[in-house]
Amino acid sequence: MTGMRALLGTMRTAVVEAWSNRRSFWVQASAMILNDAAWVAFWGLFFHKIGQVRGWRSDQVMLMFAILATVTGISMGLLSNARKLGQLVADGQLDAVLTLPVDPLAYLLVRRVDTALLGDLAFGPVLFAVAAHPTPQRTVLYVLGALTGSAVFVSFVVMLGSVTMVAGGRGEQADLGFQALLILASYPLDVFGGLTKLMMFTVIPAAFLTGVPVHLVDHFRWATLAAMLGVAVGSMLLAGVVFRAGLRRYRSGALWTRA
Amino acid sequence: MAGPYAAAFAAAAGRVLRRPGELAVRLLFYAVILVVFAALWSAAAAATGGLVAGYSAAALLWYVTVAEAAVVATKPRLIEDIGVDIGTGAVATEMLRPVSVLWLRLASELGEAAVRLAMALAIGTAFTWAVGGAPPARAGALLALPSAVLAVAANLAAQHAFAGAAFWLSDAKATWFLYQKLVFLLGGMLLPLQLFPAWLERVAWVLPFWTMAYAPARLTAGSPPQPWLLAAQAAWLVVLAGAAAVVFAAGERHLEVAGG
Repeated sequence: MTGMRALLGTMRTAVVEAWSNRRSFWVQASAMILNDAAWVAFWGLFFHKIGQVRGWRSDQVMLMFAILATVTGISMGLLSNARKLGQLVADGQLDAVLTLPVDPLAYLLVRRVDTALLGDLAFGPVLFAVAAHPTPQRTVLYVLGALTGSAVFVSFVVMLGSVTMVAGGRGEQADLGFQALLILASYPLDVFGGLTKLMMFTVIPAAFLTGVPVHLVDHFRWATLAAMLGVAVGSMLLAGVVFRAGLRRYRSGALWTRA
Repeated sequence: MAGPYAAAFAAAAGRVLRRPGELAVRLLFYAVILVVFAALWSAAAAATGGLVAGYSAAALLWYVTVAEAAVVATKPRLIEDIGVDIGTGAVATEMLRPVSVLWLRLASELGEAAVRLAMALAIGTAFTWAVGGAPPARAGALLALPSAVLAVAANLAAQHAFAGAAFWLSDAKATWFLYQKLVFLLGGMLLPLQLFPAWLERVAWVLPFWTMAYAPARLTAGSPPQPWLLAAQAAWLVVLAGAAAVVFAAGERHLEVAGG
């Protein structure tokens, strides 16, 4: 309970830090919202010319993008250190964290907020409300999809980042995994076939960020929901195991920095 | 006088080659994009009976291969990097050298980008040739190489002109992804300008972004060949480099007067 209070306090500090430079906060968040609007424009132009692609309509892609923006806002905006784990390890910043009386992974995740990506967190729900036919049921499923997608996203990059503790480097593999996951999750699942689709359900789990949540919102089935929750919980547990395994092999960078 | 700039170009090219891990990550990223777009455009072409705005699925894949290669050759966060250098005063130190801050930076960025462009085009050509066959516009494809070089140069010059705002605005660095999306969308990197509604296509032609992705891609994939695109790119390059020179000259004067 004390640990949870400390983590909440840490998260509050991270948000206050981001908020402290108001002008920078608004510039960065607004720029990201405009950036998201550019993607919406791309899909608008695409479907204006093409119509439907393998059963995906314009409104389903807007739902996909709303979920993706929300997932990115939560996982890389609120928990921005997730993708920087490799750099933190390489820079020796893990050493100071290990002395604190809290779970090191949880602390690292909540310690920093990425201001720009909070723009995604604002954009996603607005796009859902405007373009994805919200009803009470669809809204609950959208929130669930965004939360499970975030869990998978964070777990995936934490696992890749943890490899740095064993293999060295600066987390390049996590950066590549992050980019690959984000790109694959940015397009309708059914445009991919065969091997790529199989990959998106296994080694690069992009399908669980957007494709499966979109399917759940549009065609609710208990089995899909159970599978999605199972994958989210399973990936979080696996990420915890991989991080702890990495910690056991980790040797201090002998650099002392502020946690 | 070209000596220091040629040296900066060569040193930067060598720097990229000496960091194979970073280069490999960038090229793998490019390969992932090609896989995604191969799937997307073949599905789109199938949905519209084989042709999208006059492009076949194979032509669209060639289009994306070259457009992406021209864009991926430049650093995605260059505007942010320049903004940080201006904000932290690193540029003020560079002003002590007896060479132009802007041209030295551009030479260095061109050196790095040349290596990435060559690698990306080699990988992209091999992939797309294997998946979609030879480029549909063979004569035009020969012009695509100089066009891709001009595209990269125009992009770098424009990024320096854009980033020069950091001499006056401390938050200009956050705008790098806005610039990037202008290249993605109005530059025709994500989709050919012919797919735009007429009014947006006219807007795109007025702005310089089409020189950074659309021109080399159109030369590779489009028919009939349009060699005049090269001349128009060169003209835009002169304008953009001139704009960057004006912005940096004014910015450097501002630093001298107001301090960094």
